[in-house]
Amino acid sequence: MALLRSLNKLVRLNPKIVNLKCVRTLSSDASGEKPPDSKLGGYAQAFEKFETLKTEESKELPQTFASLLRNSKFVDLGDPEGKVVTGKIFHVVDDDLYIDFGWKFHCVCPRPKKNAGEYVRGTRVRLLIKQLELSSKFLGYEKDVTLLEADCVLLGLVQDRSKNIQ
Amino acid sequence: MRSLSLLSRKWGSISTARLNSTLTEAQATPDPHKAALAHPDYFSVHNLFTVKDLFDARVHYGHRDGSLDERMLPYVYGSRLGHIIFDLDKTAEYLRRALNVAAHVAYRDGIILFFLRGAQNSHLVEKTAQECGEFAHTRFWRGGIFTNATKQFGAVTRLPDLCIFFNSQNNVLLQHTAVKDAAKMGIATVGVVDSNCNPNLLTYPVPGNDDSPAAVELYCRLFKAAILRGKERRKADFNE
Repeated sequence: MALLRSLNKLVRLNPKIVNLKCVRTLSSDASGEKPPDSKLGGYAQAFEKFETLKTEESKELPQTFASLLRNSKFVDLGDPEGKVVTGKIFHVVDDDLYIDFGWKFHCVCPRPKKNAGEYVRGTRVRLLIKQLELSSKFLGYEKDVTLLEADCVLLGLVQDRSKNIQ
Repeated sequence: MRSLSLLSRKWGSISTARLNSTLTEAQATPDPHKAALAHPDYFSVHNLFTVKDLFDARVHYGHRDGSLDERMLPYVYGSRLGHIIFDLDKTAEYLRRALNVAAHVAYRDGIILFFLRGAQNSHLVEKTAQECGEFAHTRFWRGGIFTNATKQFGAVTRLPDLCIFFNSQNNVLLQHTAVKDAAKMGIATVGVVDSNCNPNLLTYPVPGNDDSPAAVELYCRLFKAAILRGKERRKADFNE
C-alpha cells in the first residue's frame, strides 16, 4: 500500500515520465512475492522510490531536430569569423597538421615553431576561425568552387587545467 | 564452396526454393517474396538509427549558399549565416527508405556496389563492402564499365542490382559517371546527396552531408547493418 501511495505521488507530479508498464510490474511484485500486509519501513520505501526513479530517468525523450539544432554548439557559435574553438589533430603530414573541430570540414595548419614536437595525432589545440569553408565564386561561373576545407589560425595547445597536481 | 557461390552470383542462378515453389505447388503456396515486399519494414531497418544519431554524425551540415543546387531545396531546412542546414526529419525518412531497399536487395541475393571517390574515406568504404560480402569501386571509373561491359570484361557480365553512392560526385565535383550509366542500364541507385549535388538521376536520394568522415562512417555502418540483416533473413526464411 505504502509503495503504491508513493508511486501515485510520482504519477501526479510527473505523469509523462512514469512508465505504466513499470508501475504494473511493481504492483504485481508487491501482491505476488512480498507478504500482503508488510508496511515498508522508511528506508525500504525510499529505496523503492529511488530504484524506480533511476529506471524512469534513463529513458530520454526523443528530441526534435529543431530543438537539437537550436541548442547545438554550431548555433551558439554565431558568426564563425573570429571565434575560438578547440580541435583535435587527426593526421600529420610533415609540417602540416590536419585538425578536426567538430564541423563538416577539417582545417590544415602549419606546425608552429613553439612546442613543435608536441603536435602529434590526438593533440587538442585552440583555433581561431577565419572561414568555415574555403569557397568563393570565380569570375564567369554560376556556382562557387569549394576547397572542402576550413580556414583557421592555430593559436596553440589547449592548456591542461586539471586540478590534480601530480 | 566459396568459388561456387561466387560463380552462381556471377551467372545469376535462380534459387532452388523459388524453382520448387513455381513448379510443384504453383497456386497453393503464396510467393514468399510477396509477403516480404508487402511489409513496410520487413527487416526492422527503421530502428537502426535516430535523428539524434544523424545529428551527432554531422549529417545536417551542407555547403555554402553559393554552391547550392536548386534541386536540393526541398530537402533543406534553411541556411545559417550562409551555411546550408538539411532537415534531418526528411533525411531520416529518405535514409530509412534507402536502407529498406538495400536490405530487400540483399534478401533477394542481389549484387550491391558501393561508390565513393575521395581518398580520405575510400578505405573505410572498401572495408565495409568486404565485411558485408558486397562490392566497392572507389577508383577511377572507366567509361563503359556498365554500358559496354561485355566488350570491357571479355565475357557476359552480371551487372549490380543496386548502386550505393556515399558521395555522388567525383574528385572534380562533377557527378559520378556511374549515376548516369546505372540509370541507362536500369540499375537502382541509392545516393547521399549534399547541397551541391543533383538528386534527379538517383532512385533513392538521401539528402545529407557526404564530406565529414563521421557522416560517411555512419552511412557505412547503417548500410552494412541493413545488408547483413537482409542476408540473415534470407538464410532464415529459405534454409529452414
